[in-house]
Amino acid sequence: MLLTLTSVLLITLDLRGSSVVNGSRSLFGTLFRPIESATRVVTRPIQNTWHGITHYNDVVEENRRLRDLVAYGQGANIAAIATVREAQELLALNGLPTLAGISSCTAQVVGQSPSNFSQTVEINRGSECGIKVGMPVLNAAGMIGKITNVYNKRAVVMLLTDPAYSLSVKVVNTPPTTTTTTVPGASTDSTTTTTTTTTTTTTTVPRTTTSTIKGFTPGSTLPVTTTTNAAGVTTPPGTAGPNRPGQNTNTQITVPPGADLPLRETGALEGRGLTKSPVVRFIENQPRFGAVTIGSPVITAGGATSLAPPDIVVGTVSKVVKRTGTLGPILEVKLSADLSNLNFVRVLLYQPITERPAEP
Amino acid sequence: MDAILQFAENRYTRLVLVGLMFLSLQTTLFNEMRPFNVCLQVMLLLAASCGLAKGSSTGAVAGFVVGLLYDFVLTTPLGLCAAVFALVAYLAGFAHSFVHESTWWSRSLVASGASAIGMILLPIAFTVTGAEGVLTLHIFVVALVVAAFNAIFSVPVEMVCRWALRDPAPER
Repeated sequence: MLLTLTSVLLITLDLRGSSVVNGSRSLFGTLFRPIESATRVVTRPIQNTWHGITHYNDVVEENRRLRDLVAYGQGANIAAIATVREAQELLALNGLPTLAGISSCTAQVVGQSPSNFSQTVEINRGSECGIKVGMPVLNAAGMIGKITNVYNKRAVVMLLTDPAYSLSVKVVNTPPTTTTTTVPGASTDSTTTTTTTTTTTTTTVPRTTTSTIKGFTPGSTLPVTTTTNAAGVTTPPGTAGPNRPGQNTNTQITVPPGADLPLRETGALEGRGLTKSPVVRFIENQPRFGAVTIGSPVITAGGATSLAPPDIVVGTVSKVVKRTGTLGPILEVKLSADLSNLNFVRVLLYQPITERPAEP
Repeated sequence: MDAILQFAENRYTRLVLVGLMFLSLQTTLFNEMRPFNVCLQVMLLLAASCGLAKGSSTGAVAGFVVGLLYDFVLTTPLGLCAAVFALVAYLAGFAHSFVHESTWWSRSLVASGASAIGMILLPIAFTVTGAEGVLTLHIFVVALVVAAFNAIFSVPVEMVCRWALRDPAPER
């Protein structure tokens, strides 16, 4: 009976965030660390033997696969670096936040949860590196989780698959396959049809764009040209072709820039445990957004109360579960990071407002 | 000096030291060795073995201490594993009290059964305290693997527990 009461008391104190419990955990961690380190050194040969027996074939196969990937990645990396640099310059020019402006701390995963029921890993950097509770953690592939406990030289990372994890994300739908531009009042042969091919096709943009302003071409991309007629007379730019100021002509309409950019919808990513993929809920069923397709990228949404800065890759949509009525679909997400094989990770020194300790 | 010696001779002091050793094995060696993708639970085995070695009452207290040590390294609420491990140790001691002529395999069987119950009780306790997504069919696989492992190693671990929880030496 006494043991039961003690347990209930301890659980209550811990769930209410008692500083005594947190302090005792931290103290225990500090005292236990040397014992654990010594045991790790002693048991390392046994662990290596175990892994050698159970994972030999996997390692050989993985090594072969990784060699191919490295060869492929070296080429793609150069193009990616250039693209990222351009994107960062664009974001900086527009005064938008980028990951480049956030300091980070690189750490190595030194252990995972000894429990079968929680998805956490331990890293070898802690408060000495500036890490605080709530900071997002990512690896080369993308987002992997957030910091939940911090000690001097270690920290615990809750993985995205943990049922207690929730993160604001964006689902990016790709531009439409076909954009048809019609000219009002024009004959059949003056109708121009433009076809744009993309990898996925889900978004529908307004198919007809009209302009009633004389001589105005929205988002016009027509080149500046001079025209020479059969008699050898050169017509200056703006007075030849369809764009003649002051004349009511049928003009070719170009869809304004930005209309074919990917559309985004926000939702909440929730972990569902080790054996199930995380899901995104609260996606509104907006007609303009269109149907979400498998393979659409899922990235962090950012924002004042978000747990992570914007535009960190989380994964791709692997399954769309439709719901009736106005309820948006539930999206299953295939994470881009392999959470079962983590080694080096990067902790962004970005503490969300929601995770900051309350002012006294 | 006498007070220090008396403290060192205390059975629960020895149990904590043994528990720390097992905990370090749990967080290093058995954390890496995962047959069938299941993390073996030597701390649970230690708790069950305490119940087998010293009976249900002493075993429950010992199980509570072992569980509390485990709670310190987990992210689950403090006291949760302590409660479950105390119950497992109590069950092991209680079940074993019905065995007329105890043999090594009967003790292994009881340790195995208590471990399996513990591995099913743990996710239930997690769910009660607000965790989601832990009550899946996977817990039966976990219980089966942990029970098999604990049956194999229960005899040597019980000997360690018997040493740690032995009664204090009589005054000379």
